[in-house]
Amino acid sequence: MLSKSQARWFFVGGTVFFFAIFLFLTFDTLREIPARQNSEAMTESVVRGKHLWDAKNCMGCHTILGEGAYYAPELTRVVERRGKEWIAIFLRDPEAMFPGQRRMTQYDFSEGEIQDVVAFLDWIGGIDTNGFPATPDLGRALVVAIEAPTTAPEYFGTVCVACHTVAGSGGTVGPALDGVGNRMTRAELDRWLSDPQAVKPGTAMPNLSLPDTTRGELVDWLVSLR
Amino acid sequence: MKYKSQRVAYLFFALSLTLFSLQIIYGFIMGFAHMGYDVLHDLIPFNAARATHLNLLVVWLLSGFMGAAYYIIPAEAEREIWSEKLAIVQWAALALTGVTAIVGFHFGWWEGRKFLEIPRPLDYLVVIDVLAFIFNVGMTALNGKRFTTTSIVLLLGLTAAALLYLPGMITFESQVLDSYFRWWVVHLWVEGVWELIMGGIMAFLLIQLTGVDREVIEKWLYVIVGFTFLSGILGIGHHYYYIGTPEYWLWIGGIFSALEPLAFLGMALYAVGMARLGGMNHPNRIALFWTVGCGIMSFVGAGFLGIAHTIPQVNIWTHGTLITAMHGHLAFWGAYVMIVLAMIAYAMPQMTGRKLYTGWLPEAAFWVSNIGMLGMTGAFAVAGVTQVYMERRIGMDFMAVQDAVQVHFGGVVLAATLLSIGIGMYIWNFVQYGLPNDEAVLSDS
Ligand code: HEC
Ligand code: HEC
Ligand code: HEM
Ligand SMILES: [Fe+2]
Repeated sequence: MLSKSQARWFFVGGTVFFFAIFLFLTFDTLREIPARQNSEAMTESVVRGKHLWDAKNCMGCHTILGEGAYYAPELTRVVERRGKEWIAIFLRDPEAMFPGQRRMTQYDFSEGEIQDVVAFLDWIGGIDTNGFPATPDLGRALVVAIEAPTTAPEYFGTVCVACHTVAGSGGTVGPALDGVGNRMTRAELDRWLSDPQAVKPGTAMPNLSLPDTTRGELVDWLVSLR
Repeated sequence: MKYKSQRVAYLFFALSLTLFSLQIIYGFIMGFAHMGYDVLHDLIPFNAARATHLNLLVVWLLSGFMGAAYYIIPAEAEREIWSEKLAIVQWAALALTGVTAIVGFHFGWWEGRKFLEIPRPLDYLVVIDVLAFIFNVGMTALNGKRFTTTSIVLLLGLTAAALLYLPGMITFESQVLDSYFRWWVVHLWVEGVWELIMGGIMAFLLIQLTGVDREVIEKWLYVIVGFTFLSGILGIGHHYYYIGTPEYWLWIGGIFSALEPLAFLGMALYAVGMARLGGMNHPNRIALFWTVGCGIMSFVGAGFLGIAHTIPQVNIWTHGTLITAMHGHLAFWGAYVMIVLAMIAYAMPQMTGRKLYTGWLPEAAFWVSNIGMLGMTGAFAVAGVTQVYMERRIGMDFMAVQDAVQVHFGGVVLAATLLSIGIGMYIWNFVQYGLPNDEAVLSDS
């Protein structure tokens, strides 16, 4: 039968042996991480974004690399999913984007800080995570990808489509925009996009502070939806 | 109780149960938020509630471990605590640091790193405090009449836990490295050195409660903690699958973490086996209930629900979902909450000289709280599995799925109510015992 001193040696020996292996693997892992995480792309902006991420404890609601809390969306691939522009607009006023839904804290970030957070999320998206998060494998046929028609201006595809559908694809916060050219004139559309609140106080459509050229492109395209 | 100074354990136990109650309240805040009633959002946003809930847990378990050590080490070493005064000062410092941290979370004074939210300046206080504690119990053990295996394992666990806190205090600019070393703390604590603490306390309780020969109990203790490290150290790989670390962690983590349940199975067989071997004759039956229950529930929560999602092929889908919450709750409950509650149930009659362990109250507390916790785990499981299939495997939107699982958080809250009633009864029993008194010294073993 096993004696107590044999048992003790099993404990001490096993611990020392496996801890030594662990230290060796850690050494190797630290050597490989720079390439896998794309250290060269870690700009100062990314680092500032990481500090904001920590300081605000975003991980207390979200997961990133699958770690954190399960109250808000996984953000590892959020830049790929939503686009940088959309995220920047969202962060300015999170509740405007999803009125009435589960609430995210309103941070009064400066524009620079928003760019830093976005840069951080963008950098995260480039890490080699061995395939996490995995592509859904069961319902590919069930899911309609949120995609704007190819004729749409780029801005529509990155931001507006989160709230509006066109040709059956897009978000449902705002009305479908099919045929909007029949309902609204060029001037009305332009005024609406410049400042929705001025046209209809209290509306859930956010003021996106669009540059004139972008607004022009969007209006041209919207008018053509008949 | 044989030595007068063992009574300081009472302070630690009282702190534990107070913070535990607070932890449960914050749990309810989050449960309601998940149900769609985040009414406190502007005052206590979800991330503040969560940091508070988690850190209260860690602090009150540490307080419970410290209380246990202040009770066990003098009994094992056969002498008074090296300095009772230091113990009291160290208790007050722990309480103050813990409370400051918790209050700070509500004002955004934190580090956004799950489980390690306590801000850096307070980290140093925690470390100093724990060192003072280890020095105190260490001196007690070293200058005692005997240095038993139980003491060795307990002290080794406590010292290693203190050392492993340090990697969590290094600052990294990379999220990947930050995460890598965060697990040195979190994983190597709960699936490593804390198991030594748990094993040490359990061995002490089994020796006292079953009357089985110390040599037998301590021999198996070594075997079990041997298995813990054999599997648990490299088992850390199950946190290194998908965070930017090399691919070899997939199979190293998969194989070794799949062996981890063996240590918990050992713990369960150990508790049940010794209780049977010794006959259940000790009058404090309820302390034995908690001890044996701890062995069994730690196997269910950590071992069984751990292995359920530890294989990389499964974890790729469950990583970062409510499945993790399901496992985390029952694992912490079974392994660490129950061992602390077992210790308190054993020590209170000893310290106060009152034998309030009979009657319906302590037993109802045991059953009601355990059933409540199992119910919560079940509700988390249903929500988790739903999330995995709808969001991860079918590809539905995160918030759409959250709306779909809202109803299961109704289940979580209901079961949590049961748990709270059980814990309420336990605490009422604790209060009835009153304070430690000198007449209890030397009353009996
Ligand atoms: C946060 C969600 C959101 C975003 C982003 C958004 N909208 Fe809207 N939009 C709305 C809502 C809600 C309404 C309905 C407003 C109302 O009636 O009060 C609306 C209304 C409109 C209307 C009027 C439609 C009608 O039939 O009355 C147009 C046109 C429009 N949006 C265009 C855009 C364009 C172009 C963009 C991108 C630059 C955009 N929206 C981005 C939410 C959004
Ligand atoms: C109090 C909890 C909470 C905190 C803290 C929080 N968020 Fe959020 N966040 C949410 C919720 C809830 C949503 C989803 C909103 C919705 O879809 O209705 C969200 C959505 C997002 C999204 C959009 C994700 C998507 O795929 O639609 C981004 C990006 C984001 N948050 C970034 C952040 C960053 C960066 C921080 C820290 C500075 C942060 N969040 C802190 C709750 C939180
Ligand atoms: C008492 C012992 C244990 C406790 C207290 C415990 C607790 C926890 C907690 C709290 C988490 C979440 C951590 C975080 O996200 O920050 C977690 C994650 C995990 N645990 Fe455990 N655990 C224990 C034992 C085990 C065992 C024995 C196994 C394997 C068999 C296991 C497998 C896992 C896995 C795979 C994860 C990662 C989930 C993910 O993010 O994908 N655990 N555990
Ligand atoms: Fe782990």
